[in-house]
Amino acid sequence: MAAALARRVSGLLRPLSVSLCSKAPQLCKLSSLTRLPPVYSSAAAAVRAPLRAAACLTPRYNILQRVLPLIPGLTPQPSRSLTYFSVKKGKRKTVKSVTDRFMRLHCDLWIRRKAGYKKKLWKKSPARKKRLREHVFCSKTQGKLLDKMTTAFWKRRNWFVNDPYLKYHDRVNLKL
Amino acid sequence: MSFPKKTGGKALSALQNLPRITLANLRPEPGAKKPKTLRGRGQHGGNRSGRGHKGERQRGTRPRLGFEGGQTPFYLAIPKYGYNEGHSRRPQYQPLSLKRLQYLIDLGRVDPTQPIDLTQLVNARGVTVQPLKRDYGVQLVEEGADIFAAKINIEVQRASEGVIAAIEKNGGVITTTFYDPISLGIVIKPVPFFLRGQPIPKRMLPGEHMVPYYRDAENRGYLADPEKIQQARLALAQKYGYILPDISKDELYHMLSMRKDVRQIFFGLSPGWVVSMPEKKILKPTDEKLLKYYSSYV
Repeated sequence: MAAALARRVSGLLRPLSVSLCSKAPQLCKLSSLTRLPPVYSSAAAAVRAPLRAAACLTPRYNILQRVLPLIPGLTPQPSRSLTYFSVKKGKRKTVKSVTDRFMRLHCDLWIRRKAGYKKKLWKKSPARKKRLREHVFCSKTQGKLLDKMTTAFWKRRNWFVNDPYLKYHDRVNLKL
Repeated sequence: MSFPKKTGGKALSALQNLPRITLANLRPEPGAKKPKTLRGRGQHGGNRSGRGHKGERQRGTRPRLGFEGGQTPFYLAIPKYGYNEGHSRRPQYQPLSLKRLQYLIDLGRVDPTQPIDLTQLVNARGVTVQPLKRDYGVQLVEEGADIFAAKINIEVQRASEGVIAAIEKNGGVITTTFYDPISLGIVIKPVPFFLRGQPIPKRMLPGEHMVPYYRDAENRGYLADPEKIQQARLALAQKYGYILPDISKDELYHMLSMRKDVRQIFFGLSPGWVVSMPEKKILKPTDEKLLKYYSSYV
């Protein structure tokens, strides 16, 4: 998206230098793998990808990136609607804002962070800061809304390795 | 003297004489199907058709889900946090409890006299692995460790210490191996793979982050030193307080010591071979370069 915008706006500013940092030294280092019978020693090859060309260091490009969000009409408005039937496949789509901010436990609970947990901490009391640092559950209506905004993929059971939330996916001692 | 009574009577003769039953001849019992009242067809002409009274509800112009009249909606007011960050790059392992494994062995779905592989578990429908959902195999879980009593040679992808202890206590052997996603797909469904007609590929070695796990003798990794594994077996027996049975004196020692090669996917089949299902033949490569490629460990 930023690249497309940069292309659109580069017409307004002077054309940027064509060969932006054309030097891209190819640094590939393959460590030779030793033959492994009986002890299969580590086969971790250190193949470093070619160094990314440092294209973002020219002063014009920096100004471009800072000015872009301020020009009205050039920053595209986000689309916040939920797609019930997609154009290509006819499927329901997830709202990505929800998956960026919330986590669904398999027991149908959603957890989130408190708003403002990293803002203006200097003026907040330690007790308030501690309350803001906690992870909190969402209410039933909020949970129902989030369930509607996500597809079934986000409701599946996951068995990650070293998952800190593994034990919270099941309710224990719940009496109805 | 009584006439032999014809069973069925009129119904049977009717069935024999009437034409063939088709959809055109069938009709439900009267009163069985009650048509439901459609929207807009109820009392007083349906009136508002279940849409309520005036406003956006009746007129169908309600805003999108989550909109709160212009106030920053709840799902945007909350700050972002990396709960689900990189979730599609995190490996997952389907759990298999020792209780379930014992259940499968007792019912005869899994044969303990042969090495137990992921293929055997999937054939027995003991676990369902989905490689497309970032599953990298099966992990053994400690539930049922106290009732577990079977001597097996099992190969899984992850196992905890308690599980290793439970299996070795009964005189079994456990190994943790790595299958890359393509090999995993092949191991789970071998027959569809053979029907494809492609040569069996080499199993890839684990990535940088998983190599320490599989090199560790504590986890019985397949890349670990066999002597260190033996020492780890003794140490674990001391830790959990059981006498380590000597498998070399076992009658099934040959079966228990069967292990796959690092690059092998199936027992008895090498990478590079083509299994032809319709002809029931195995085709092996003869070209030098192919043989060199398939037999190399690099």
